[in-house]
Parts: sequence; C-alpha cells; structure tokens
Amino acid sequence: MNTKASILAILAAAAIPALAQVPAGYPAGYQQLVAAAKKEGKLVVYGATDSKATQPLIKDFSALYPGIVVEYNDMNSTEVYNRFISEAAAGGDTADVLWSSAMDLQIKLAAGGYALPYKSVEAGKIPGWAVWKDMAYGTTFEPAAIVYNKRLVTGAEIPQTHADFARIITQPKFKDKVTTYDIEKSGVGFMFMSQDAQDYPQFGALQQAFGAARVRVQSSTGTMLERISSGENLIGYNVLGSYALVRAKNDPSLGVVLPKDYTLIMSRVLFINKSAKHPNAAKLWLDYMLSQRGQTIVANESKLYAIRSDVNGETTSAELIKQVGEKNLKPLAVGPQVMEYLAPAKRMAFLKQWKDTAGKK
Amino acid sequence: MPTFSLPGLRAKPTGAGGLPAARGGRLNWPRAVVVALTCTAIFLPLFLIFYQSFLTAPFFMEDKALGLDAYDFIFEDPDFWMAFKNGLLLASGLAAIAVPLGGMLAFVMVRTDLPGRGWIAPLLLVPIFVSPMVMGFGYVVSMGPVGFYSTWAHQLLGFVPWNVYSFTSIVVIAGLTHVPHVYLYASSALKSLGSDVEEAARVSGASPWQVMFNVSLPMIMPALAYAGVLVFFLGFEVFGLVLVLGDPEGHLVLATYLYKLTNKLGTPSYHLMAAVAVCLVAVTLPLVLLQRRLLKSANKYVSIKGKGARQKPLALGKWKWLALALLGGWILVTIVLPLSGIALRSFVQYWGEGVKLADVLTLQHFRDILEQPSLVRGIVNTILIGVIGGGLAVACYTAIALAMHRKPDGITRLLDYSVLVPRAVPGLLAGLSFLWVFLFVPSWLDGILKGFDNGAAAWLSEHLIPQLRQLRSTIFALWLAYSVVWLAYGMRLVSTSLLQVGPELEEAARAAGASRGRVTRDVTLPLIKFGMLGAWLMVFLIFEREYSTGVYLLSPGTEVIGAMLVSLWAGGSTDLVAALSFINITLVAIGLGIALRFGVKLHN
Amino acid sequence: MNVLTVNDLHLDYGSGAAANPILKGVSMHLQRGEVVALLGPSGSGKTTLLRAVAGLESPKAGTIDIGERRVFDGSRKLELPAEERNLGLVFQSYALWPHKTVFDNVAYGLKLRRMSTSEIAPKVKDVLGQLGLGHLGDRFPHQLSGGQQQRVAIARALVYNPPVILLDEPLSNLDAKLREEARAFLRELIVRLGLSALMVTHDQAEAMAISDRILLLNNGKIEQQGTPQSMYEAPDTLFTAEFMGSNNRLPAQVVQRNGSGARLRVDGRELNATVRSPAGAPAAAAAAADSAALIRVEEVRIGRSPVDNGIQLPLSTCMYLGDRWECLFKSGDASVRAYSKQRIEAGNYWLEMPAEKLWVF
Repeated sequence: MNTKASILAILAAAAIPALAQVPAGYPAGYQQLVAAAKKEGKLVVYGATDSKATQPLIKDFSALYPGIVVEYNDMNSTEVYNRFISEAAAGGDTADVLWSSAMDLQIKLAAGGYALPYKSVEAGKIPGWAVWKDMAYGTTFEPAAIVYNKRLVTGAEIPQTHADFARIITQPKFKDKVTTYDIEKSGVGFMFMSQDAQDYPQFGALQQAFGAARVRVQSSTGTMLERISSGENLIGYNVLGSYALVRAKNDPSLGVVLPKDYTLIMSRVLFINKSAKHPNAAKLWLDYMLSQRGQTIVANESKLYAIRSDVNGETTSAELIKQVGEKNLKPLAVGPQVMEYLAPAKRMAFLKQWKDTAGKK
Repeated sequence: MPTFSLPGLRAKPTGAGGLPAARGGRLNWPRAVVVALTCTAIFLPLFLIFYQSFLTAPFFMEDKALGLDAYDFIFEDPDFWMAFKNGLLLASGLAAIAVPLGGMLAFVMVRTDLPGRGWIAPLLLVPIFVSPMVMGFGYVVSMGPVGFYSTWAHQLLGFVPWNVYSFTSIVVIAGLTHVPHVYLYASSALKSLGSDVEEAARVSGASPWQVMFNVSLPMIMPALAYAGVLVFFLGFEVFGLVLVLGDPEGHLVLATYLYKLTNKLGTPSYHLMAAVAVCLVAVTLPLVLLQRRLLKSANKYVSIKGKGARQKPLALGKWKWLALALLGGWILVTIVLPLSGIALRSFVQYWGEGVKLADVLTLQHFRDILEQPSLVRGIVNTILIGVIGGGLAVACYTAIALAMHRKPDGITRLLDYSVLVPRAVPGLLAGLSFLWVFLFVPSWLDGILKGFDNGAAAWLSEHLIPQLRQLRSTIFALWLAYSVVWLAYGMRLVSTSLLQVGPELEEAARAAGASRGRVTRDVTLPLIKFGMLGAWLMVFLIFEREYSTGVYLLSPGTEVIGAMLVSLWAGGSTDLVAALSFINITLVAIGLGIALRFGVKLHN
Repeated sequence: MNVLTVNDLHLDYGSGAAANPILKGVSMHLQRGEVVALLGPSGSGKTTLLRAVAGLESPKAGTIDIGERRVFDGSRKLELPAEERNLGLVFQSYALWPHKTVFDNVAYGLKLRRMSTSEIAPKVKDVLGQLGLGHLGDRFPHQLSGGQQQRVAIARALVYNPPVILLDEPLSNLDAKLREEARAFLRELIVRLGLSALMVTHDQAEAMAISDRILLLNNGKIEQQGTPQSMYEAPDTLFTAEFMGSNNRLPAQVVQRNGSGARLRVDGRELNATVRSPAGAPAAAAAAADSAALIRVEEVRIGRSPVDNGIQLPLSTCMYLGDRWECLFKSGDASVRAYSKQRIEAGNYWLEMPAEKLWVF
C-alpha cells in the first residue's frame, strides 16, 4: 500500500469520530457542549428501567461520545425518588439524570425546583404533551395493554374494548384468575387506574367486575406476566405493554391486545438535576435520548416504545397509531396534572374506594 | 477439645460490683475503644429510626415537624392492625410447629442410633442458609396453583389438594423452615445430658418415644423455652416468605406492611415506616431480653458433664422406621420441594399448565445473568462479603466478646444487653437506617467541624469528610450493616467458645508473669481458634443468605445477591430470580462443603 | 528471713450488703526454705488466702509482702497485679495449656521474662530433668498421665526461680495409691531444691507429711499454727484436736479442776484428764459443767483387767482394716473406738485412757 494512501486512510479514520462528534443538524455551538461534557468524563443516571433494557442505550451513547463513562443505577421508581431526595438533602453525590416511569414523582421533583431548565435540541421533534416547561421530558410511548394466556383464552373470550373486558371477566371461568397491579404498591399501576377512573365513564362497573372476579393483585409486571404465562392467571389488565411485548416474543403462551376504545399511554419522564455534578454530560444524554438515533435504539433494542414519530419499528408510537388509531390513544400528559393523586387525602380516598369494590374478597 | 475446668467448682464472686475496677486508675484503652465503637454502631442507627418516627416528614426535609402524625396514621389504618394480628398468629403458629418438631428431631438425631445420622445432620440445617424469599419462591414454583408438583398432582388426582397461598400454608411453611433453629438449641442441650436418666426409663419399660416425651424433652425444657421465644420473635419479623406467598391473597404481616408503606402514599413515607418499626421493636425487644433471661437459666439447668456421664445412644429397634418417616417427611417438604422447584425453574424457559418440561430446558437464564455486569458484580460481592467480610466480622465479635470476658462489671452488662438490640430491628429498617447514617453523619460532622474554626478542624473537614461520604457507596457500608444486624448471633457463637476456656488456664499465665494482653494473645485466642473458625463459617452462611438489610444500600458496586433478588423479584424477572437463587444455593453448599471437609463443626 | 509475710488480711466475696467475709484477719509468715501447709475444711478460706497471695483475689484490708516488697496494702490501695508478683503457682487442675507442648508450657515464664531462646532451652531441660520429665518435652499435656501432668505443672512454676512457690491441693487430683508416692516425691523435691513453699490441702495426713509448719484455718481465721507434731500432740482447741487425727468424743462432767488437770465423770467413773487451752488463754473456759472429753483412737488401750483411768464397755463390733482391727465399744451414750492388733472376742473390756492423753477443752 503506498504511503500517501495509508496516510489518507489514517486521517480519514481519525476524522470520522471527530466528525461524528456532533450529530447532523445540531447548532454550531454544540461542539463546546460536547467538549465540556468530555471534560466531565462521567454521567450518573438513576433509572427505573431494567439494566438489561438500558444496556443498548448506554453502549450506543458511549460509541457516540467516547470518553464519557455512564454509571447507570437500576432501582425501582420509588427508590429513584427517595434516594435522590435524601442524597440531595445530605449534600452528597447524587444523580445527574433521573429517568423514571413514575411520572407523578418525576413531575413533583421537577416542580419542586430540582430540575435544570434546558431546552433540548430535539424538543421540537416530540409531541408537545411530552415536554413540560423545558424541564421534564417524556421519552417513551408505552401502552397499557391487556395480556392473556393464549392456550387457555381463545376466540371471543379475548376482549377488544374495556366494556368487553368488564363483561368477560365476570364469567365463572375467570374467577380468581384475573390479575392487575397492586395499586398500593405499584406507582405505574396506580397511575393507570386513576387515569382510567377519569377517562372511562363506566369505571364503576369495571371496579365491580374486578370485585366479582376476585382480582389477584401483583406488585410488578414481571410477576403478572409469569402468572399469566403459567396459566395460574388467565388475563391481566393495564399491563405495561413494553414488557408484555418483549416477553410475548419468546413466550408463545402470552397474547397481548390493546383495547380499541381507548388505550392509555404513559411516558418515562427524564429530567436533569439542577445541582448535577456533570450537567453537560447530562444534557448530552437528554438530547441523545430524544434524538432519532437514540429513539431507534429505544424502540428496537430496549423495546420501550419510541415516542418520536419518525422512528421505524414494531415498538414505536407510529406502529401504535396504526394499530389503534390516533384518537384512541390517551397519553398521560407530562405536567402537573399527574400529581393530582399525590395529595394524601385524595390518594387514600381512591385507594379506599378501590379496596371496597374491586378488592373485596 | 476437652473442657479444662476445675472439677470442684469454687463459687466465683458475683453480684453488684464484682471485681473492683483496676486499681490505680489504669484505663483499659483497647477495651474502651471497642465498647465505644460498638455502642455507636448499635445505637446511632436505632436513634435515627426512633427520631424519624416522631417527625411528620423525612428528617432531612425542611418542612418536617415533630408530631405523632405517623403513629396516628398507622393506628388508624386497618391494614396495620390486620398485619399486627397476622404477625402474632404467624409467630404463634410457627412456634407451635417448630418447637415440638425441632425437639423431636433433635432427640432422634442426638440420642438414638438412627442410621445415616452423619449425613442427615448437615441437611437439617439447610433452611437456615437459604434465604426465606428463595424458599417462598421455590414453593410457588413447585407447589403453587400451577407449580410443577401441583400439575402432577392434578394429573393424578384431578385436583390440587393444597393452596400454597393460604394463610395456613404460610404458617406451616414458616414453621417447618424454622425447625433448624430449635433443633440447634435442643440438640446441644441434649448432648449435655447423661444417658443414665434415659436408661433408667427404658429399664422401667418405656419405649423410645415415651422416653423422649417423658424424660429427655422435659429435661431440656429451658432450652426449648429459649428456642421457642427465639422462633416466636423470628416469626414476628418474617418478611421474605410472606412477601412472596402473601401477595396473591393479600396476607400482610408487619414487615411486608412496612415494605408496602414505601409506596402507599406515593412519596416516601419514612416516618410511617419508622413508626411501624418502632411498634415492631416494642414487641420484639422484650422478647429478646426474655430470651436472654431464659438462656441463663437454660445454662444453669443443664448438668455439666462429669467424668461418669457417658453418652450411649438409645436403640430404636422397630421405631426406626417411624423416625425415618418423620425425618424424611420434613426433609421432603422443607428442602426437596422448594429447592427442586428453584432448580427446575432456573433451567426452563417458561412453565405452567400445558407445558411439556422437556421442550423448554435452557441455560439462557444463566447466560443472561453473566451478561449483566451488575449481577456478576453481585455474585462476586456476595462471595467477598461472605468470606472476607465474615472473617472481619468474627474478628470484631471476638474483640467485643473479649471486652466482656472475665470482667463481670457494669460495662459488660451494658454490652450484654446492647448486642441484643439490633436483633429486634427488622433487617429492612436496619439497612435503611445505616444508609441514613452514612448519608448524613458526614454532613453533621462537617457542620460541627466548620463551627470549630481552627486549623486542625479545617484540615479534617477537607480530607476526612469526603472520604466519609465516599464510604456510603462502598461495600464497607453494607458490611457494617450486616455485622451489626447479626451482632447477637455472631457474639453468641464466639462467647460459647470463650466460655469453654477454663479460668485457671489464664490465671496460670498471669501467675507466670503475663500481662492481660499477653494472656489474651498467648492463651485465650489460640484456645478458641477452632471455635472462631466455626463462627466464621456460620457467619459466612448467614451473610450469604441475607437479603433484606442490603435492599436500601444497593448501589453500583455494592450489589449482593440477596438484595438483588428482592429488587429482581419486585421487578418481576422471575427467571433471573430462579437462576440467581440457584447460584446462591450452590455457593452456600460449596462453602458448607469446604468447611465441613476441614472439620469445622456446625454447632457445639 | 521471711520470704512471705501476710498481716491481718481481710477478704470479702461480693460487696455492700451482700458481702460474704471469707478471710477475717489472717496473719502468717513463711521463712526461707520452709514448707507451710494451709489446712482446713472446705469454706475455711485456705484456697482464698493462697489466691490472694498470688494476686488472683482482691483482699479488702491488710498487707502482703513478698520478701521486702509490699505487694498489697489495703490502707494505701496498693495492689500489685498477679503477673508482677513473680510467684510460682501450681493449680489443683494443673492448668497446663493444651495447645502448647510440655517444653513450651514450662518455657513460657522465661519467655515472658525476655530470655533468649538459647538461654531458655538449657534451663527448661534442666528443670524437666530434675522432675524426671526429660524425655517428654515434645509431648502435649493430653498425652501425659496425671502424675506426669502434675510434675509439668510444678516444673512450670519453678523454672524462673520464684522466691515462693504456691501449691493448691497438689495431690487431690491423684489416685489414692499415687498420692502416697507423690507425697514423698514432693517433700523430697522441695527440700532438695531448697524451696519455700506454701501449700493448701484439706488432708491433714498430707499436711503433716510434707510441711514444716501447719496453719489450721477455721472459718476465715487461723485456729492454730505450729509444727505437725505440736499440732497433733498438743492441740489448743477442740477444733484443732478434732481436725488432726481420729478421735473419740466422750460426754463428760468436770468434777474438779486443779491447774492443768481435771477430774471428769465419764460413764459413772471418775477419770483424770488434762485441760488443754491455747497458750496464754485462761483455763477457766474449760471449767464448764458439761464439756467434751477427747482422746485419740490410738491412745485407748484395750484390756480385760480393771484399770485406774479407764471405763468398762461391752464390745459392739470389730472392723478389719488390714494392718489392724478397729473395735467399737458402746453402751448407752458412751461409745469408744480403739485399735487392736488381733481380733477380740465379745464381752466387756476395760478401756484405759491415760490422763495426759485424755483432753478436755
């Protein structure tokens, strides 16, 4: 190989990462942000998403911005809140980025002044309801699905709407075999159920149906899916669609259906800690999560539904829109409304109502 | 090892004051340091919990205020009372099952000539070393409504004759899994009995079972009472088992109610959790103190083996089949069923009604585990904390035990009762309070130092405080929490060995001219070497199976298997839970095997 | 020259209201080359006294001097700890350290005194040789017989040449046969090595055989002290007389007193007796109407013919002791034991009790 060519090759190889530093279409000054982030060299994320799902994102981010070590702390959504709050109060090291499915807790923190206002470069590319005051951003588009055991529930027994569901579960076959979240334990479960109470006019009847079927509650999606898959339970309500779909891919016993009258959509909220130790790296991460590159990973590798409409894949908002129809998708807006049920009195009242009807044994 | 002690017991001076303090005002520095550190480690976290329960918000929030809101809330919550009642029921039922069964098994193993006793003995202790969560999970997978064995039973009988989620089942399972605790105490007490009392009964015409019920077990009544109180308050604190088995039908006990409170109000309700913890401790602490009282009387009651008392095993004859059935039944239900369930679940893709086992065998779950760095770290950390952490913990326990050794004064009594305190606190809250200690103590210290306004304080503030802050996310924090939670248990192991060193061995060294420090170094420590090894093994096993304490201390770098199991279970990755449990059990088995190979005794 | 002086030692077990006084003012001394035995029944405080001298018990008041060195002074709150008193102590149970070899057991005291290994070895070998243990240096205690263990314990106490060696019931752990041999061995050893020894024992025969002087303790005080002969042949108190030797105790009434003599009425007959009292104490104490008269068993002479100073009693039974017969004569209250070389026939006998051997206290 002649020298000139090899030198060119080397230069070209060196240039590619340099060129790849700033994604296409970003403002000119972005380079400085990247440089500052690289100087920080580290990023601490507290997230409620499984490490397994987050691994692809971290890998890709590190490929995009080498030199920034991402430390991802996987804990449940309440933990994210608790840890962050106590560490912030203690003045010790804490997260730079918080990413959690507990929308209410995230907004509470953001509204409480813990979030850094930063208008993401990609802010315009995601739906307006997913952005709150440039502080909190929704990153996913996950449906609340109905999951059933394919071997044991067939044909007309598969509900297509909420009314269907309420009717079907009152049949004797389903007694003791219906499951949903324990809304006392699961933040996501509570959110979905309280939203149902607001959006679904026949919610009362649904609660009664649950009571009649003696619904078995579980504290996590995984347990619910396990019990449905094994046949111990036949059908599950408001199961987080992203997990269900991932599991159903490998488990032929699971079937997933999105109710056609309306489907609730939740979005994992992300915000940057105002007192972050590595604010620039945090900004990079936020932009990355909302970028097409990042969202593609979110959709196809992490299997959390991508929120950007220009992402292709099975687990994307585009796909959902196709399936259910845009007007039937009811996303929970990223904003103060989700905090409504954090008020203890209201929350306890809802819980009591639930336990008196649906929870009756 | 023979016990070296004076045959003719000389009444040692006791009573208030006992031996006078060191004359000439010599302060025993090492002892003072040990006592101070121990008391700090025990009482600081406890104080935080107590303080927290009287606040209206987490103690680090600005809007907190002193008040009884927390207590008001939980006392008005019907769930709390249900959980309390269930806790009492569970504890009583558990004790009612475990004590008789444990006593009988101890008798059969220690006093009879049952064949195969050698290899059955370690088996009997297995439930102690398997995490209750794992056990619960094993029962779900093997005996749940669509468990492996349930499906077979369904095929055979047409219905499933048991419901593993009912409260009765939970009580039964809890009782059976606590049998080893009773067994340990009962067997050690039975070992100290001379066999002549039993032989006299046989000569009068009693069958082995009559001997057991009329002679042996009544004679070890104090040890049984002690064990009964122990399993009662263990039952009151039960967490993992009920977490797994209680959910489907909504059975709550105080520990799971506490866990539920984490999310009930949406935002952290530390004050509620602290209030529940205080209520729990209010019940368990008196029990722990009672237990200690009983231990003293248990020790006095059991006769010291003189030269004459031989130990001749009772011949079972035809009763041996019944004994084997009893043992076999217990082993089957308590060990084989759940563990086989776990083993199976970790090797199958998915399971349930209509699934053929052979189709779904896989190693994928284990591969999944190896792919996740946090899980692999967890496994490594668990081994490290068990082996190294366990050794360090035993060293600390020995230091504390030595501070109490042969010094019957007020400080010893203080330590004696203090080490019992952590036992009464549920592991969950203990871990949380340690998190708070590591989180906030550096800040408070910093504040104090900054107030001092001199060079030394400033230097400390700059160099010491950041190091202290870092401690939280190191495994040291976890190790400290583990060591304190299991303080009473470890100390008892070490003290038992120390008690076997006859005082004249140490006096002889002093008469020869050795200072107290040298006596400890040259005489006491070498003589308890073997006991310390045994303690190390036991502590290793306990640390391996620990799960609740580390839950709140979890952070990258400090993952351990137990805490990860809880969070994986909560996250619903049951296949990972199964595989990880399988790995945990294997680790424990290996550790046990190695130690037994080297002749370490599991119990005295 | 006194190697050990104890002055007015008081010691209590416990304190305050629950205090149990064990030593109630004991004074003694030990001269160089002397063997003194602390004799007494259990609970008399002899072991406590030994341990107090060793520094293993803390007295309340009094002084203890080793040579010229004051090691305990109650009034000045001076108490030297055991490890600084430089005494040798042989325990009743030998207390050999099971994890050290015989050699190491003996060498330990020298090691503590900072002797080099090259100096220690010959000393240890020498002591072991003197005690007949030369070949056992490498054994462990559990591999030795009881007698050998005892000698190791002695060697250990001697090796650093303490001014006084203390022995706590040295022979009580040995079998009866061994005890006799050991008695001789111990006495010979102590004399040969010129040791000063303080020995505790409850066996008066042992005390008399081994020691130069006996201190008889009774309930925390010294009852009497003296050479074995004087203790045996001239006891000052009833307690001493009864403790040392086998006695006959006769109910008697003092009829008359003159100086150190007395006339007693025993069993209807009048006998001459000797009044014994502590030196210097008034003899009036013995003038009580009903006293006890004491005579050693071996001083009673059995005869057929009437005697002046004797009583007549029928034979009750005879017991064969191997070297002699012990015969019991009984009638009503009076019962007398006496020795006889041969078996004697049933019948009435005259029992002569020489006046100087018939004691009244």
